[in-house]
Amino acid sequence: MTSTKTSPGRAGTGWRTFLRRRTEGRAVVLLLIVAVIVLISQPAVFESYGVTLSLVALDGLVALGLTLVILQGELDLSVGSVLAASGAVMALNDNLALGIVLALLVGIAVGLLNAFLVVVVGVNSFIATLGTLFAVRGLAFVFTNGAPVSIKDLEAGIAFGQPVLGPLTPRVLIFIAAFAVLQVFLTRARAGREFYAVGGNRQAAADAGLPVKRRLVAGFVLCGFVAAGAGVINTLELTSANPTAGSTVLLAGIAAAVIGGVVLNGGRGSLIGTLIGALALGILQVALDFAGVAPEFKDILVGAVLFLAVTTDPGSLKIVRNRVRAAFAGARERREALNEPA
Amino acid sequence: MNNNTAFEARPRELRGTPAARPDMRRQVLKAAGSYGIFIVAALVVVISSIAVSGFATGQNVIAILNQASAIGIVAVGMTFVVISANYIDLSVVAQVAISAVCVMAVGTSTNVFIGFLAGLGACLLYGLVNGIAIGILRANAVVVTLGTNGVGLGLLSWLTKGTIFYGKPDGFTAAFGRSVVWVVPAAALVLLVIAAIGSFLLSRTVFGFSLRSLGSNREASRLVGVKVGGVVTGAFLVSSVCSALAGLVLASFSNTAVSTMSSGYDFSALAAVIVGGNSLFGGKGSVPRTLIGVILIAVVENILVLIGLPFAWQQLVTGSIIVAAVAIDAASRKAGL
Repeated sequence: MTSTKTSPGRAGTGWRTFLRRRTEGRAVVLLLIVAVIVLISQPAVFESYGVTLSLVALDGLVALGLTLVILQGELDLSVGSVLAASGAVMALNDNLALGIVLALLVGIAVGLLNAFLVVVVGVNSFIATLGTLFAVRGLAFVFTNGAPVSIKDLEAGIAFGQPVLGPLTPRVLIFIAAFAVLQVFLTRARAGREFYAVGGNRQAAADAGLPVKRRLVAGFVLCGFVAAGAGVINTLELTSANPTAGSTVLLAGIAAAVIGGVVLNGGRGSLIGTLIGALALGILQVALDFAGVAPEFKDILVGAVLFLAVTTDPGSLKIVRNRVRAAFAGARERREALNEPA
Repeated sequence: MNNNTAFEARPRELRGTPAARPDMRRQVLKAAGSYGIFIVAALVVVISSIAVSGFATGQNVIAILNQASAIGIVAVGMTFVVISANYIDLSVVAQVAISAVCVMAVGTSTNVFIGFLAGLGACLLYGLVNGIAIGILRANAVVVTLGTNGVGLGLLSWLTKGTIFYGKPDGFTAAFGRSVVWVVPAAALVLLVIAAIGSFLLSRTVFGFSLRSLGSNREASRLVGVKVGGVVTGAFLVSSVCSALAGLVLASFSNTAVSTMSSGYDFSALAAVIVGGNSLFGGKGSVPRTLIGVILIAVVENILVLIGLPFAWQQLVTGSIIVAAVAIDAASRKAGL
């Protein structure tokens, strides 16, 4: 145990405690491993970092919203469907600006619906958002009549895909901006910091007088809004809205958050961790693409990474370590008992 | 002398007063919750036979039962997972598809039995991996099965590249898919057998009892000596076996297998389990309830098709039904029923 020469009042304020409390350790380790491997085998990934960042931007955006919800101890499975539905709403509108506004409103509406089901009706968030996942996906199909719909303003869509700042496309800039805003909200705004309390111990938060329900609503609405934003970006860049869009963002988003150290029960984690996790996943996926690996393999990879991440979180490992210790201790005691002189 | 060992159900002052009557209301609500679903199911069937044309024909009944069987077998397995408070096994989609493809791909060249064994082996491996991750490593069931599902489907589509596998036109699967006893297809008979076995497992074995107690209160069960890891793994293994069988049944319907044929099965199975009255929070429920839910969902889906509702709207309706069912479940939980 490190002993720091501090008075009791200042114990726990040193940089060591700060580091020990951080949850992003695993994400940083993974990112370093991935970066080293990819640097050796496919350095092109880093040279054309614009492509990598573009991939990270979409999955990462959804992951940011998901993090907000997971931090409160809930889940939002409907993000992929919201992406598709909002994209459809935008494409069906002749006026681009109006379309974007309506699309974002769709995201907010779904977020409110999820919040209503979870907070007011008391349905478990997983099942509520699973229901919304199918219902909103159905809506996307209804809006588009089952076929992809092109946006009316093709030039805007093409322009959106052009690099604006160096090799960075607007998609990446939006992602950076969203990350900055949400990070400030989560760490500096009181409402944001209360997200952690709601997730850590909801009963205690309620007893302490925090507006738990309002925070939960805020979390779901923000997640839906961000997912709708991702839908707008996706539709603009592809210049068409496909009702089947967004089928992979859920897995990638949860994977990024879990890798980043966000605890699924809520209360611990950070957006920075999610960002690092999204980066690691994105670099890995792009490297696989450059290496010519089949696209299905990416799904396998993300699924496998998610599985590994969720089973090797510190909590589970501690359980396993204690079990192993108990097994060995028991064996040793039995051996000693047998060797004792009768 | 005061008889201190007697238990007074209600203080003398309150008997016969309005305070005593809420009991009756609670009893009625409780009965409605427990048996209501059977009444609803019966009503739906009766009304549809009269109102919806084409519903009450033998052809349609066979279609309903076929539809119900594949999902129903998966739902029986899912019941075990739900009752143990593990919410859902999202990997059934991958498992059913893997089993169907194994039966068709391997079975056509060699023997259906060997094909099924291959599929069963893969599914059991799945169940083991899920069970260990969720039961022993205590990871979140939803996320773990989401991950394993992604891995499985990705592997399947990578290995098969979307090819359709055809079964022998005169083989076992073709015959199985065609055979009907009066209006009951062979698949429905399989479902009944599986449901009977599952019901026995759940209600009359130590394993089933441990499962239900785990669902009610995990900590208490662990303290009492229930082997949490083993029981949860068992639940996911049961789900895997059911998925493997469902894959065989599904492949027999069309005598083909594609990697995408099982999409939506996770949701439909869960819908059947919940609508039937099993509690999503675990501890309460039984296999017969799941059967009722399966029939009801299959009937509703059939009606939606018969009245010509576009496919997109059907998803909307089924999604809303399941949300409504869970809302009722949650509300009754809150009321302490």
